Amino acid sequence: MNVIEVQNLRKEFNSYSSRPGLAGAFRDLFTRNYKVHAAVDNISLTVKQGEMVGYIGENGAGKSTTIKMLTGILTPTSGSIIVNGMNPHKQREEFVRTIGVVFGQRSQLWWDIAVQESFRLLKKVYRVSDEDYNHHMGHVIETLEIGPLLNKPVRKLSLGQRMRCELAAALIHNPPLLFLDEPTIGLDVLVKLKIRKFLKEINEQYKTTILLTTHDLTDIEALCERVVLLDEGKIIYDGKLNQLQAHAVEGKQIEFEFLSEIPRTSLPGSDNIQWEQKDATTWLGYINGDEQMVSQLISDVVQRNPIKNVRINEVSTEEIVRKIYEEGLALT
Amino acid sequence: MSMYLEMIRVRFLMMLAYRTNYYSGILIYSINIGAYYFLWSAIYGGKEEIQGLSVAQMTTYVAVAWMARAFYYNNIDREIAAEIKDGKVAIEMIRPYSYLGMKTMQALGEGIFRLLFFSVPGMIIVALTFPVSFDASLTTWMFFFVSLIFSFIVNTHINLLTGMMTFFLFNNTGLIRAKRVVIDLFSGLLLPISFYPDWAQGLMSYLPFQAISYVPSMIFTEGFVGQEIYNALLLQAFWVFILLIPIRLTWILAKKHLIVQGG
Amino acid sequence: MFNISLFFQYASQYLKTRLTYRVDTAIEILSDLLFQAVNLIFILIVFRHTSFLGGWNRDEIIFIYGFFLVPYALFTSFFNIWDFNDRYIVKGEMDRVLTRPVHSLFQIIMERMELESLFGVITGLVIMGYASVNQGLTFAWYDVLIFMLMVIGGAFIYAGIFISIATIGFWSDSRTDIMPMMYNISNYGRYPVNIYNKVIQFVLTWILPFAFVGVYPASYFLNKEEWYGYAFFTPVMGILFFGVAILLWNVGVKKYRGAGN
Repeated sequence: MNVIEVQNLRKEFNSYSSRPGLAGAFRDLFTRNYKVHAAVDNISLTVKQGEMVGYIGENGAGKSTTIKMLTGILTPTSGSIIVNGMNPHKQREEFVRTIGVVFGQRSQLWWDIAVQESFRLLKKVYRVSDEDYNHHMGHVIETLEIGPLLNKPVRKLSLGQRMRCELAAALIHNPPLLFLDEPTIGLDVLVKLKIRKFLKEINEQYKTTILLTTHDLTDIEALCERVVLLDEGKIIYDGKLNQLQAHAVEGKQIEFEFLSEIPRTSLPGSDNIQWEQKDATTWLGYINGDEQMVSQLISDVVQRNPIKNVRINEVSTEEIVRKIYEEGLALT
Repeated sequence: MSMYLEMIRVRFLMMLAYRTNYYSGILIYSINIGAYYFLWSAIYGGKEEIQGLSVAQMTTYVAVAWMARAFYYNNIDREIAAEIKDGKVAIEMIRPYSYLGMKTMQALGEGIFRLLFFSVPGMIIVALTFPVSFDASLTTWMFFFVSLIFSFIVNTHINLLTGMMTFFLFNNTGLIRAKRVVIDLFSGLLLPISFYPDWAQGLMSYLPFQAISYVPSMIFTEGFVGQEIYNALLLQAFWVFILLIPIRLTWILAKKHLIVQGG
Repeated sequence: MFNISLFFQYASQYLKTRLTYRVDTAIEILSDLLFQAVNLIFILIVFRHTSFLGGWNRDEIIFIYGFFLVPYALFTSFFNIWDFNDRYIVKGEMDRVLTRPVHSLFQIIMERMELESLFGVITGLVIMGYASVNQGLTFAWYDVLIFMLMVIGGAFIYAGIFISIATIGFWSDSRTDIMPMMYNISNYGRYPVNIYNKVIQFVLTWILPFAFVGVYPASYFLNKEEWYGYAFFTPVMGILFFGVAILLWNVGVKKYRGAGN
């Protein structure tokens, strides 16, 4: 079953630029330079129930704009969106009862009142029965370890505490679909781990579909099998995370640490191998080929030189993404 | 010194950036002048004069009072309150300039902008719409401008004081609003001070508020003549200096408060 | 039904917050009172020097002012949207509002209510009481119902005008001063419209009908029969202007651009 179905979605904004200086400011009083800019440029996307999808891209790539259209906040310029079987913007009030949203940079909770008062208000807003609330939220509160925070006002919470409460608040009505926009921004590692663990749990337990945008790619590595990569409003990759790694990085990096200093000449040379010296006794070999060639190279090197350590480096997603944005990606 | 000039200039440019304020500001003031013009016309009915002012003088009084307000009015009290609340003042304290001096300069930048872009075109519009007379003599204009500068300083002093009260109150918006209302009423913007009952006039003569609006408006409409003008200007000058004392004291207290509270 | 119970939920949260900041609440009520007093003082002082204002005497003018305070208090308690553009559009709070399953305008009304402004109702009633006693006005039992109808009509006119202006924020996020301008224009409604010239009278009656918040409905209670036609039109104008405002709002939400673009 498809939870999200998006076809040829497009969102345009008008923007204007200010002219420099005093004379420019005067001219701006009367006329302004307008131009149309597509923040989201004809994207199509489907997400199945129970999937956890990482939605990534640089600042201004169109991530937030997409999320805002999927959640019914913004009206698309053109294209069609069906989420949970509804048109988010047209059936907004009915629709938003079936989703949960967390904006990492913006609080959903009321600043001056205790967390549980906010929860009570939201429970009312989403028309959740006492029974459902107690059953479901008891578990959420326990897993997120926010029980002791419930009677504190939001303004007294630390960022990590607040974020866990925000997450709980988005789940009050146990939505089948969860949108998380930068949920771990500014959090320390421990809180991040807690949140990831929790998200995995609800995904398994309730088959909750999760769409996640983040700048922290370790979030994606920990949670998402599938990633959608966005650049200048267009989807440039949509598929499995591990395939992205295979596509993006041709070959592997092998780090050889020798017992003594080794000249370049005592290392095997071929068209498929590039060498780079890391320090006096360490060389990095980049090999363009499969595992067979990797093991061949290692045995060649080890036979000829006294070796201290050999390591095959996995390339991190972060490096892949950086590489993609710098060099572009050949789409399959 | 050039630093303060730069602040005036920056504030001036900031004001210029908001294009709709530029038009609507004049309109708002014209709307208010209009309301009081009709009100006063109805109040005068057929009367020749009330408290020594003719209906023509009264109309001019209202117009000048509002256009002078455009110059002396500013929101630095609210800005100071906001900066204290956000904790920005603590940072400003370590900068190599006087915080209050900087705020005053920003207010001046705003005042000059409003004088040139609100008051002057506003006066032209008002003069075309309502029967206002601007045929005051050159010396009257001169006295008026001197008085206007004093108005600005007295009003800014009071704004600095109200703004700094945020150090001692948790939420200052109520006080700031109350101050605005008191100034509108007691400064002579809505009603010339001479219209009040004697006991109220006696009370107000001990307060700084009439130095803000009543004095320049009366000078311009020639409601004050001869020695009265000099007395009024001296009164304004008196308040300009006297108010420095509570400002200094509050600032010293505020700094202590800031050290104790850690911002 | 759901909306009403939701409203009380919000109201109880609001009261809890206000009780935490008791001093602020007290200062706010005091500064409201001061604000209301200033206009009364103006009227009192002016009538030291004249006995009629466009044919209305002192107590009638005071009564009109007292009446005006009641719908105005309702408006300021529940329709605090003068900073809608800054708070909801520029700072992006509208995003959050739109992710909740309640009509967006209703949510904003509930989030922004300031119940302490309701104190103005009492001030208004006291001022009207004082003016009525001075003139020896008498009222029938059904006048209470008519009063409520007129008050709600007046509050709806205010709400309608200000909501309509707030919706401009959906089309343009640049700062405008139309809001404060409107507050200043609304001051015209506190005095009898016949002191203004014909154009302004027309505007205050049909375009920005602030006269329906003060002088027109008040003239019913002051037995000024020549104004009765206008007086009874007050609830109609209220429904009309409020209806148009909601319509504009619903169209505007579709144009919302989101923050940070």
